[in-house]
Amino acid sequence: MSSKYPAGRLPEPPSPIADDGDETHFCGTCAFSSACIAAGYDKPELAELQCLVEHVGPFRAGEHIFRTGDPFRAIFAVRGGTVKTRMVDKEGREQVLGFYLPGEVIGLNAIYPEHFPCDAVALDTAFFCRFSFPAMSALASRVPAVQKHLFRMLSKELGSASLLAGDHSADERVAAFLMDLAGRYAARGFSATRFHLSMSRGDIANYLRLAAETVSRVLSRFRNQKLIQIEGRELQLLDPAGLRKIGQALLPD
Amino acid sequence: MATPIIPPEFDPALVARYDVAGPRYTSYPTAPQFTPSFDEAALRQVIRASNEEPIPRPLSLYVHVPFCMSPCFYCGCNRVITRDIGQADRYLERLYREIELAAPLFDRDRPVRQLHFGGGTPNFLDVPRMRELMESLARHFSFSQQAEREYGIELDPRFADGDYVHALGELGFNRMSVGIQDFDPAVQEAVNRIQSFEQTQEVIVAARESGFRSVSVDLIYGLPRQSVDGFSRTLDQIVELQPDRVAVYGYAHLPEMFKAQRQIVAEELPDAGTRLALFGRALAQLSAAGYVYIGMDHFARADDELAVAQRAGTLQRNFQGYSTHGDCDIIGLGVSAISRIGDSYSQSARDLTGYYATLDAGRLPVARGLLLDEDDVIRRELIGELMCHGSLDKRRFGERHRLLFDEYFAAARERLQPLIADGLLLEDRTSLQVTSPGRLLLRIIAMCFDAYLDGQAHTPRYSRAI
Repeated sequence: MSSKYPAGRLPEPPSPIADDGDETHFCGTCAFSSACIAAGYDKPELAELQCLVEHVGPFRAGEHIFRTGDPFRAIFAVRGGTVKTRMVDKEGREQVLGFYLPGEVIGLNAIYPEHFPCDAVALDTAFFCRFSFPAMSALASRVPAVQKHLFRMLSKELGSASLLAGDHSADERVAAFLMDLAGRYAARGFSATRFHLSMSRGDIANYLRLAAETVSRVLSRFRNQKLIQIEGRELQLLDPAGLRKIGQALLPD
Repeated sequence: MATPIIPPEFDPALVARYDVAGPRYTSYPTAPQFTPSFDEAALRQVIRASNEEPIPRPLSLYVHVPFCMSPCFYCGCNRVITRDIGQADRYLERLYREIELAAPLFDRDRPVRQLHFGGGTPNFLDVPRMRELMESLARHFSFSQQAEREYGIELDPRFADGDYVHALGELGFNRMSVGIQDFDPAVQEAVNRIQSFEQTQEVIVAARESGFRSVSVDLIYGLPRQSVDGFSRTLDQIVELQPDRVAVYGYAHLPEMFKAQRQIVAEELPDAGTRLALFGRALAQLSAAGYVYIGMDHFARADDELAVAQRAGTLQRNFQGYSTHGDCDIIGLGVSAISRIGDSYSQSARDLTGYYATLDAGRLPVARGLLLDEDDVIRRELIGELMCHGSLDKRRFGERHRLLFDEYFAAARERLQPLIADGLLLEDRTSLQVTSPGRLLLRIIAMCFDAYLDGQAHTPRYSRAI
């Protein structure tokens, strides 16, 4: 009905968009900025190293960033939006492997096989920094801090699967899932208690190996217990400590 | 947020001044804004999205039965006059097809909290047909098993008896809305609806015996030959029937739009002053009998859920007027039925031919609709708040929707100035508050916030404000 930004409309709240960099400055949430800066490589120096970072996107909800089997040439840092990675088996059954938020990196699990072992699908409008991997590994060989950071990201990626391991109740899984998201948002400087759930309940359920109804039932229970407030996809954690307690078996200390 | 509810104050001179046509805001944007560009693909898309919310909304079903045995001359509803039950069977065939197409699109863990049969005359369907329809709905959707579920039906007492109502109770209905309009014989003759007090009483008593939790009745003022004395006697009889809710609608004479109304002799319609006196009498008598004014056309006993929800600040506006289940996605089934799913409205074909043709082609019968944009959502919530609770905390509303209230609604606030000067509402830095006289002119206040009425002459497609 009305124009895009009518009078009196306030700008978006500090929202999960990691896109505040320019030619000489890293984005505040850049996965590599601290490693590079610590090693004395600011953006101009990186440019000299021809470590070209290409901005790609937008990808719309449902669009692929890469597909299983695509040759591996680059990793992608999410600048804005949310991504899921997934595998589809021969029977066409989907298995959601993970969700990636602004500031996080996808494609790391393709380094060894040299082709992507999964699909990456945008859950909402998503933008990326594309790091050419040959250039990235050249940089890593020159800058030990970058190499160390790559290794750290790789081990984190491996560790994240532990959220699902073991025999845990639906309550534990959902609570741990919410607290994991909260921690990841907080680490990038976004609100840890208020965020938008871009993933569908089907994706959440698939990821947590639960039925969709179970996810909703647990969330309703958390709402009744005043642990969370939820309106559509807008989530507010009212009692993060309480949630942490429920999910503690699955969360790092 | 709980707010004290200010009782309405009837100021005939003020109401007369604002006696212009206006929408009733059972939806915002209103139905004239729906467009054919909202098609079946768009509807399927919003349904998919509604299933994928973290906690999908419960469901509310509206089922439209368009047939009536005889024409009431005041009627502006979508209906077909017939006595041929074969017509109903042809209709039901398509309705079942629609249920089979639509129901699987909604996840099965979404309970049907609310069910409403409207018309036309839902009791055009006899008990076996009604049973089959309810069984079909229960098979394809997940009926709520909770006691708070609200399963209601509109009833024409001229074509129902106590046994019929008992059967409805056994089928799971627990609310009933009874059409009355006026018991005055002169009025009944003029509108072609002869209905005795005894007939009406029989279905209401049967509803109570069958454990119906709520009975509401509909009256209309502004009908031909209506007099204040006659209407006053009707109101006494209504109070005697002890309904939980009373709706008092103003008759809108639009013969160029509604063919049935051409049977009404315009000279027999009450003049503007009488119209006002009729409503004033309804307000006075119902208030004296312990009913509270909810807003617009609606009254309820002080202990009724609507009145309780209004005091608690949780009342919502929907197609049936006011509701305590505003958090449901509404699925409209049947010809001309309107759905509200997520931030969308959609309406089925309004004629039987179109409705049948789409279903016979295996498609959902959506004919037009609208996907609300952010501004629509903001204004819908604001209008709903004013209509339900009569006040608004501008700061909280602004925070909730990321806007500077006074700036964002600058044009609306400009339009409010004469209303404020007339004492319909108060505005200060932090709030908007509808006053006692303003409570009877809610739609005039709401119209100021309607972005689609900007600079547009008010067309007579809407009924008058009072």
